[in-house]
Amino acid sequence: MAKICFNRAQISAIATTVGDRKLSIDDEKEKFHFDDNSLRRLKKTIGLDSRYVVSEGICTSDLCYQSAIDIFRQLDIDCNDVEALLFVTQSPDYRAPSTAIIMQDRLGLSVDTLAYDINLGCSGFVYGLFTAFSFIQSGLKKVLLLVGDVASSLTGKSDKTLAPLMGDAGSAILIDRVEHQRSYFVMHSDGSGCQHLIIPGGGCRKPYRRSVVVEDRGSEDADLRSDMDMYMNGGEIFNFSIKVVPKLFQELFEFTGVTEKEIDYFVLHQPNKYILQNIAKRLGISEEKMPSKTASVFGNQNSASITGTINGFLHEKFSDHELKNVFVGFGIGLSWGACYVETNAIYAPEVMMFDGR
Amino acid sequence: MKKKDFVELLMETMEREEDLEEEMLLEAIEEYDSLAALSLMAMYDELGVNVTPKKLKKAKTVKDLIILAGENVSNE
Repeated sequence: MAKICFNRAQISAIATTVGDRKLSIDDEKEKFHFDDNSLRRLKKTIGLDSRYVVSEGICTSDLCYQSAIDIFRQLDIDCNDVEALLFVTQSPDYRAPSTAIIMQDRLGLSVDTLAYDINLGCSGFVYGLFTAFSFIQSGLKKVLLLVGDVASSLTGKSDKTLAPLMGDAGSAILIDRVEHQRSYFVMHSDGSGCQHLIIPGGGCRKPYRRSVVVEDRGSEDADLRSDMDMYMNGGEIFNFSIKVVPKLFQELFEFTGVTEKEIDYFVLHQPNKYILQNIAKRLGISEEKMPSKTASVFGNQNSASITGTINGFLHEKFSDHELKNVFVGFGIGLSWGACYVETNAIYAPEVMMFDGR
Repeated sequence: MKKKDFVELLMETMEREEDLEEEMLLEAIEEYDSLAALSLMAMYDELGVNVTPKKLKKAKTVKDLIILAGENVSNE
């Protein structure tokens, strides 16, 4: 099992920007053809309420740019000091090259910067943080991590199995080298589940040929989703989540020797309230320590959901206090990972809405 | 757990108020939809039974749902 421990890296800042359009599930009822009864149950059970998405043409990089610029300005960062830029996303600006390289120029970083993309979704923040911490452990002093997705662009516009869950967000995280700061990571991958959450078209297996043939998956909504859109087998993903996440907690506790009581916050990826409350029930951890309602307000923010929860709901705590945190990501791949990270009154502003800069 | 109690648990999980009979076809039960399927998987998981979406799809009747619970349900 991939278990890693670091002792030189520290998070200095976390900022998140969400899409500029707020959508309410009540207003989207017609679009998704929900009848009154299923809408009531989706609101009550899954927790669907509102979500923030971008206007046409806005990319993940635009959201991350606003988050990064805010950190640079507020902390008076000299751009020449940033040695590495990592961008975790499934919605890059182009199929190639890596958006991270474009962001090096756009953010005014030096050409001495190391930059590349990492293709991960809901587990992406934990993996991105792991990579950034590895760089610091290897000798770099300052790393900028960008994470997020314009998830609304990845789903079929009226695919009711997925589109109503998704929100758009882009975060920036600044990581610095310090004398001593311990952190622990536990990571897993299981490619046998790749077909349960997938965008099948557009790669080399099913290339994009201008006219995309819609595959009939035998479900009533097949006509609403093309091979260029994300497909999710909700049952499989739910089953995966409630099985692997509680186990991951156990592994992290055993690896770190830290107990549940010592942790201030468990910030998990936020797919929806229902999955999180099912996990919380198994672990016996309260809503106060393990927030579960981010997706009900902002939508599922993929790799920016952990940072989105911090900037959305815990920004005062993270700004003012020394905290012991557990971050947990899980999803597409299938890929999952958890880390124990301490933060010491970091720069964590309240979540920003995209303002078109 | 007695069979009667498990059937009540099924009703509660599916949010169904009317009685369930063993021979009832799941596809004829209004409350048995994709959301109910998630709730049922969570219910089995809490009983310590691994019910995958595939296994659940094979269940055609209420009786099949009882069989899936295995030794958790007695024959009484």
